[in-house]
Amino acid sequence: MEDFVYFFTFQDPSILWVVLGITLLGIGSAYVGTFSFLDKKALLGDAISHAVLPGICLGFMMAGEKNPVYIVTGAFLSGGVATFLSSWLKRNTKLSDDTIIATILSVFFGFGIVLLTSLQKSGNPEIAGLNSFIFGNAIGISEADLMLYGGLSLAIIVVLTLMLKEFRLMVFDPQYGKAIGFPMKFISFLFNVLMILAVVIGIQAIGVVLMAALLITPGAAARFWTDRLNPLLILAAVFSVLSGILGTYVSFVLPQMPTGPWVVVFLSMFALISFLISPKSGILFRYFSRKKYLRKTHRDHLMKALYKAKEEGKDGLLIEEIYELYPFQKAETDKSIRDLNKIGFISKNQSFINLTEKGISEAMRIVRLHRLWELYLNESMNIAPDHVHDSAEQLEHLITPELETLLEKRLNYPILDPHREPIPRPDKP
Amino acid sequence: MITQVENPVLEIHDLTVSYDQNPVLWNVDLSLPAGSLVGILGPNGAGKSTLIKAVMGLITPTSGYVKVFDKPLNDVRARISYVPQRESVDWNFPASVLDVVMMGTYGKLGLFRRPGKKEKELALKCLEQVGMSGFAGRQISELSGGQQQRVFIARALAQEADLYLMDEPFAGVDMSTETAIFQLLQEMTASGKTVIVVHHDIHSAMTFFDWLIMLNLHLVASGPKELVMNEEMLRKTYGGKLNLLTRVTDLIRQKDFNPLKS
Repeated sequence: MEDFVYFFTFQDPSILWVVLGITLLGIGSAYVGTFSFLDKKALLGDAISHAVLPGICLGFMMAGEKNPVYIVTGAFLSGGVATFLSSWLKRNTKLSDDTIIATILSVFFGFGIVLLTSLQKSGNPEIAGLNSFIFGNAIGISEADLMLYGGLSLAIIVVLTLMLKEFRLMVFDPQYGKAIGFPMKFISFLFNVLMILAVVIGIQAIGVVLMAALLITPGAAARFWTDRLNPLLILAAVFSVLSGILGTYVSFVLPQMPTGPWVVVFLSMFALISFLISPKSGILFRYFSRKKYLRKTHRDHLMKALYKAKEEGKDGLLIEEIYELYPFQKAETDKSIRDLNKIGFISKNQSFINLTEKGISEAMRIVRLHRLWELYLNESMNIAPDHVHDSAEQLEHLITPELETLLEKRLNYPILDPHREPIPRPDKP
Repeated sequence: MITQVENPVLEIHDLTVSYDQNPVLWNVDLSLPAGSLVGILGPNGAGKSTLIKAVMGLITPTSGYVKVFDKPLNDVRARISYVPQRESVDWNFPASVLDVVMMGTYGKLGLFRRPGKKEKELALKCLEQVGMSGFAGRQISELSGGQQQRVFIARALAQEADLYLMDEPFAGVDMSTETAIFQLLQEMTASGKTVIVVHHDIHSAMTFFDWLIMLNLHLVASGPKELVMNEEMLRKTYGGKLNLLTRVTDLIRQKDFNPLKS
């Protein structure tokens, strides 16, 4: 708890710096990553982030120490070579995208590890810091490094904001962009540059192995919540920044803990939560709305049974008679009866159940929709009367008042359904 | 049967187009008059889409050139509007109908400038013209195929161009919508604009177009509908590919080298 207060009150200016840096980095990479996720180039980010390792090592060799400018330049160049190679291979060979990405990723990363191992053998005391590039260490970043990374992040954010409409066009319809005379080749080149930059500035905090997660996961998680680009970008940035700060906090509290994996843990949590509970596309949401719908179906059917009993001249039904209608569904039936009683559609007198006034008009509506739909299928779609019942049984719960009016008009307010049963309507006063 | 015109809106001069090593259009040479509704007809794989892509500069031709309003394409892009095939984009992209139609104003805005109130009003007006006003806020993935097609047409209208090139705008569109859109296109041509449409259905082509281009890897016919639409031309267009031409194309593909490319 003490750590928590200490960390989040930012008494330590160096923590404030790190949090600020992580925030900018999070926004920048979520921003770029969301575009590449929408462009279906998620794997390219992964390839680039692995491919910067040899550049980092070469930069270190050239400088002889952990100089951020050398390292960023080296990383940027080797990321650039990887990107160029992958598009060159795509143009000039018949290899598929995934083959190219997998090859680039493993070749560059393998070469990087070779360089890193030989550097470790060289006995340079500065080498210790280089290991943090694999899994990232946000706490260990010096202020000078942070200035550089933060500045680059800011540049990414500014360019993407200024050219939002151009990048939107690049992802949605590049052919059209070309047709209206936009320099689409330059725009996608610029996007690649931003993508490599985002990877390069993230590697010290997150590490080459996991950087792709910071690019892609925020956008993928945010996609569950919104169907518009601007909210999507903002939400992705929020997820990314929160995970970044939380990950940094963990690696601050637990010594020797790398930042990258923890950031990814928090990001995955956001993604999992989005996957489960987001409205419309979340699976829990879908599960419950389906369940709710099935309950309504069951209630509607029960009301119909009571209405038919009324048509046959009975006042209502005994609960045993209702149980018999739905064998093996006693629990559901009990629940439906309880719910209908609560809404006031039925009244229960010991084991005798009958419809209330309110219930009669609702039941009449369901029966009417059922029979109207049967008639529609029979008249307009030429389906035999003995084949229309099942479909009507499913669809009577869906038909809206608007559709009902259309059906009535289309069928010219019919009196009988295909089974010669009356289509009930409330008496006009 | 190729009719050439004076002062053409669009002039295609001896245009040959190849995909990789594969020639798909041979020596197309035609010119079109202003203010007409032009249909491009031909069987599958005849090179209809390729022709308008080459006109828009989306494919670099192997040889030949295109002139629009008597100028090279890049000088007059602002006056040309293009409707790509509906399947060419991912409709799951997070955008509203209005967002997509607003893209039509991007060309006039140029780089960096953002669409504002004026552009929004224009986009809404164009949506109304295609009968989609009620859908402005709708997510594009929720639209039917015909509605998506109309959104693309609205986007092209928002460009306020003089020449329109449309790649199968009636694919997946029901009859009543097709007629409504054709009427809209006829109004446009009546006001002096030129509309070129890649089309499938010969019957509606007869009714609505003024000028027809018939393609089957090579140009079969280009001219006023009354002159061009006859049994001989239809047989040449739809009666199978020229056997010899196909053999030569195969040969070029096997050689993995295109002698037509210099």
